[in-house]
Order: sequence, then structure tokens, then C-alpha cells
Amino acid sequence: MALSKVGVVATAQTEFRPAWNNAQHIDLISSVVTSVFKGSGLTIDDVDFIIDSGSDVLDGRSISNCGFLGALGAHHKEEARVEEDGLWAALYGVNKIRSGSSSVGLIVAYSKPSESNVDLYWNAQVEPFYQRPVGFGQRAANGIMAQRYLADSGLSSRDLADLVADRWAAAAASGKVSIDDLPDADAILAAKEGAAPLTELMFARPVDGAVAVLIAREDIARRVSRNPAFITGMGTSMDTHSVAAREAGRLSSAATAAAMAYRNAGWASADADIAEISGSSVIGELLAIEALGLAEAGKGLSAARDGKVAINRSGGALPADPIMATGLVRLAEASRQLSQPETSSGGTPRRAIVHGAGGVGMQNNCVFTLEV
Amino acid sequence: MFSAPDSYPIDLPTFHSEINLPYTLTPGRAAGTFLAEVKNRRIIASRFASGQVVAPAQDFSSTGGEEPEAFVEAPHTGVLTAFTRVDGQVIGFIRLDGCDNDFPHRILAELDDIAIGQRVEAEWDDSVEQSVLAIKGFRIAPDAPVGAVKALAGTEEPLGVIPYAMKLDYEHAYGPYYGRMFDEIRENGRFMGVRSPGSDVALLPPREIDDVTHSRTGTWKACADTGTIRGCSIINMEVYGQTRKVPYVYAEIVLDGASTRMIHVIEIDSLEEAKEKIKPGTRVRAVWTQGERKGRVSDIERFEVIEG
Repeated sequence: MALSKVGVVATAQTEFRPAWNNAQHIDLISSVVTSVFKGSGLTIDDVDFIIDSGSDVLDGRSISNCGFLGALGAHHKEEARVEEDGLWAALYGVNKIRSGSSSVGLIVAYSKPSESNVDLYWNAQVEPFYQRPVGFGQRAANGIMAQRYLADSGLSSRDLADLVADRWAAAAASGKVSIDDLPDADAILAAKEGAAPLTELMFARPVDGAVAVLIAREDIARRVSRNPAFITGMGTSMDTHSVAAREAGRLSSAATAAAMAYRNAGWASADADIAEISGSSVIGELLAIEALGLAEAGKGLSAARDGKVAINRSGGALPADPIMATGLVRLAEASRQLSQPETSSGGTPRRAIVHGAGGVGMQNNCVFTLEV
Repeated sequence: MFSAPDSYPIDLPTFHSEINLPYTLTPGRAAGTFLAEVKNRRIIASRFASGQVVAPAQDFSSTGGEEPEAFVEAPHTGVLTAFTRVDGQVIGFIRLDGCDNDFPHRILAELDDIAIGQRVEAEWDDSVEQSVLAIKGFRIAPDAPVGAVKALAGTEEPLGVIPYAMKLDYEHAYGPYYGRMFDEIRENGRFMGVRSPGSDVALLPPREIDDVTHSRTGTWKACADTGTIRGCSIINMEVYGQTRKVPYVYAEIVLDGASTRMIHVIEIDSLEEAKEKIKPGTRVRAVWTQGERKGRVSDIERFEVIEG
């Protein structure tokens, strides 16, 4: 018996803000869990399982999902927590449905980095004997990736700033991300140093928010959703923990994950219409674009800005990085662009590539293909 | 997003919280040996059967997973292969002479003065022991001769454990529901919950969505500061993180008017008397803390048994 096909029935997300000072995690979570059913005809009673993503370290409590079960709608349901970006929670959920053990699943990811210290969160993931004491962490990893990338590609910091400015402008236009002052390329270049040669604004901006994605077996998805996007390929791959031991200038684990997803889907990156891609910095996004096969090594910038495949029309992760939810937001964005093309200008895309990443220097990568 | 969290006219400051976690980290044989050997100013590396040398020493290859065949001594010199600057500190990858991997460490130079391929040399800090920072960093050394990896006759015993502490700071948002609850405690000295959907009993703490039915909760309701114990345990053991002296009673109390249990404590003088009197069904009342209320659960100092 063939595995069942899984569709994205509905999505919901809060606005992404630098800080949701007047809302708790449970307020953000219950908001998206309540909203995601609107118009679908399904209710929480139809959901067989709930898989959620978040970080105990960012949340400041261990097994933090225990306190969020009610908001998640998980009372007396099968619930599981994935301590990785929400795109892996979706991967888990899709496989549960494909295996035939369930029909409808709710995937939720959330983040409130404003309550915590993001540098310490990353630091907690770094090897404690050799690397943490010398200050090698997420920022240094991205800085070194950037220094090498600029040296190899011949790009300038100005080129990077132009791309970042594009991404912020796209996010501002989407209306889903709270932006007080839209930075232009000059402001991005003039921002405080984050990790040379990257300024702080060349890093993904941590934001608070939550996202919910309702997935279902094919027949249910077709019944309850007008034009559901189907998940036709998935791949995941993790690189070595030691950033220094990874292949320089290439996100090889993202390339492996993408190859796995494209093999499932039966098509190649060039056949996609849109891509929603994560990146812990502008260099991370460029390296991801190249690893996903959307550009040659060192040539990600032109693909990022005006390639054949429309990349990060939502703005991507640079203006809004709800850590642990970023990849699931990419899935939500891409599925909406496919299912409801009338709500975003850009024709009628049929195929999408979705990418999520986790870990210091994007150690872990996950890729989905979506089709309508 | 529901409109309530956004528009509710409460703007409490955030709730500060700290997590302090003490650790005894176990470095294992390779890192333990490296850290024990820095006092001898030796950089311990691992040599694998393939001939590859990795510094600082590792118990297994980070790419292939195999174990090394021997510890060797790496030279103090090498080449800069990548660099960045974070918070004013230059950090680089150093390929020590004769080694096959990059060693992330501090570079003791200004960013403008460094370039890929430059020769570097370790600078030691005599005041630091048992840490990778016994190497203060690597300085630019254009004329440093190319060193060689050397065999080792013996090494110091690896360090067993390394004390470590992690401190994490948080500023938690209250949100509109907890916000009003703590506001009412501070301003009016009362516990406010919200009604369960379709009933008159209150959920404490209050929330927008009922945990069980996942429907919206009802209107606000004040609960009494008296209630009934529904679960309890006499705590007579000291554990890390306790805020009170033992013995005391941990109690789950359902306040009159509420349906949910709130966790608080009952102070006791005598274990025997506590065992006799404090049990599920016992009626209790809140003893409020003297002085100005702060809008916290600790505004109730403790609960006490209602005699008779």
C-alpha cells in the first residue's frame, strides 16, 4: 500500500514582533491554535495529535510544553515535543499521517526570545571545553562563514546590505512583521558590528510569535480545503557539531537534505516556482540558496534577488526569526502562496521549496517540497 | 490573535527570573588530558590511524567517529585560515603546523592587521590553569619557524571533572490574564480567576482558553482566600533550590469559588500534629504578608489550618 499523501489544510500565525511584552507564550499559542481552524470546518476534536516546537532554554523552564498543553489544545491527546525548528515537527507529523496511524495533525511552533538572552541561548549549544571559553558561538560562526564567503565570491558588504534591505522591505510589505524603522542598505551597513564583516542587521532578527499548521491525509485535505498544498518531498540532514570541521563555503547538510526531498518529489530545484528559506544571517541564507541547488557556489546573490525561482517573497528569516519557529513559518508562507495565490502577487506558483535550519552555524537542515 | 491580549489596558513590567545551574562537567580522556597538560605548556592533539592529527585532542573524529590511536604534542605555531570579530575580540581558525583541522581561538591582533595565511604563534597566560584559555590567544608571528607534531612518552592524568555554572536571566511577560490576576492581588488583595466555559467556578490562574475544552473562558470572578486542601505532602528533606526551611507542607489548595488547585505552603511546628491535621479535605485560610503587597504569589506568606 502506498503511503498516504499529506496536505496543508490551514495555517495561522501571530504578528512577529521584537517583543510581545503583553502576552505570554500561552497567549500567543492559544491564539494561533484557535485561529487555524477558522474556515476549515475542522475543530480541535478532529485533531489526532499535536506536535510542538520551542526551546526550554529560551522559555526559561524545563519541559516547557507541559505548561502549554492547554493552550495547544493537547488535553488528553497524543502530544510530542520536538526540540528543533518547527519544520522538523512538521516532518514528524507528516510521517505519522503517511504511516496511516493518524489522519489530522496540528503542528505548532512558538518563540519569545525577547524574554531571554539570545547570545546565551546559542552559547548553551556550544562545546564547553574548547569553544565556549574563547567566545566561539553563533555570531562567530556566522562571521567566519561570511569572511570566507566574501573572500571567495568577490562580493562586498554593500551587496549583502542590499539583499538584507530587500528582505526587510518584503517583510514590511507583507504586513505580518512589526517593523518600526525600515532600514535601507546604508542603515544596515552602518549598524553595530555583529561579527565582522557582518553588522547586527545582517543577522536574522529574533522576534516573538507563534505559528500553527494544520495537516491532514489527502482525502480530508481535499474535502476541507479549497486548494491544499501537498507535501511531496522531505529531507533532513545534520552536520558535525564542530563548525571548524565542516566543509568550508558550503552547507553540505542542507544539500544532502535537499537531495533527499527532491528525490521524493521527482523534480529538481530549477522546477520550483518559489522558495522560502531560513538563514541565521544573510550569509546563511546565501549558502542555503546554493545548497538547495538554486545557484552555483558563490552565486547565491543574483538568485536571491531576481532568479527564476522567487525566493523569500515573505522576507524570509532575516527580518523575522522566531527561533525554533522560523522553518515552520516558511512552510506556512509557502503553502499560502501556493494555495491562495490571489493573496500575494506573483502569478500562480505550483511548486515550492521550504527550508528550515537549526544549531550553531546552521548545523542541521530540513527541506520540504510542496505542490498544488 | 484575539484582540484581548493586545488591547487590555494592563502594562505590567516584566517578571524577572534567574536560573542558576551548577554543573560538574566531565571532559573525558582527550579534553581532560589537554586541560591537564596546559600547565606544561603542551598542546595535546589526537593522531588517528589514517595519519590525521587533530588539535586540540578529541576522543573521536568529529567527521568519521573513529577513536584516535595516540595522543601527540602539536606545535605552538600555525597558519590563520579564517577570522571574525565578536564584541571587539578577534576570533580565528588556526591550522597548527602538521595538523589537519582548524582550532578556533582568540587572535591577539587588530582586525585590520590580519590576513588569511598569516603565520601565528600561541601566547600563553601563566595565570590560567585547566582551561583552553591558558593559551591566551595566537599572535601574528611572520617569522615563526614551521613546527612539527611530536610523539609523547607520557601525559598527565586527565582532569576528572570541571566545575561550571550557567546563569540565565529572563524577563517574562505576564500577559493580560496573569497580568490582571497579579494586579488584583497587589491592588485589592484578592484572587481573581475566570469562569470555566458554561460554569460558575473559576480557573486559577486565569487564561484565555480552557485547557480541557479549548473554548474561550468566561467572565472574571473573585475567589475567597479560604479553601480546601486537595493534595499535600510534608517536606522534611532539604533539596537544592528550596526557599523555606524544612519541615513544611506542600499543599494543593482549591480556593472557595475556584475549580483548580493552587500550590502553596503551610508552615508546621510538629510533624506528628501536621500528620494528624493536614490532609485532603482540611480547610485552610491565607495568611497575607505584612506590609505593601507586591503583586506576587508570595504576597500570601503561607496558609494556615482553620481550627474547628
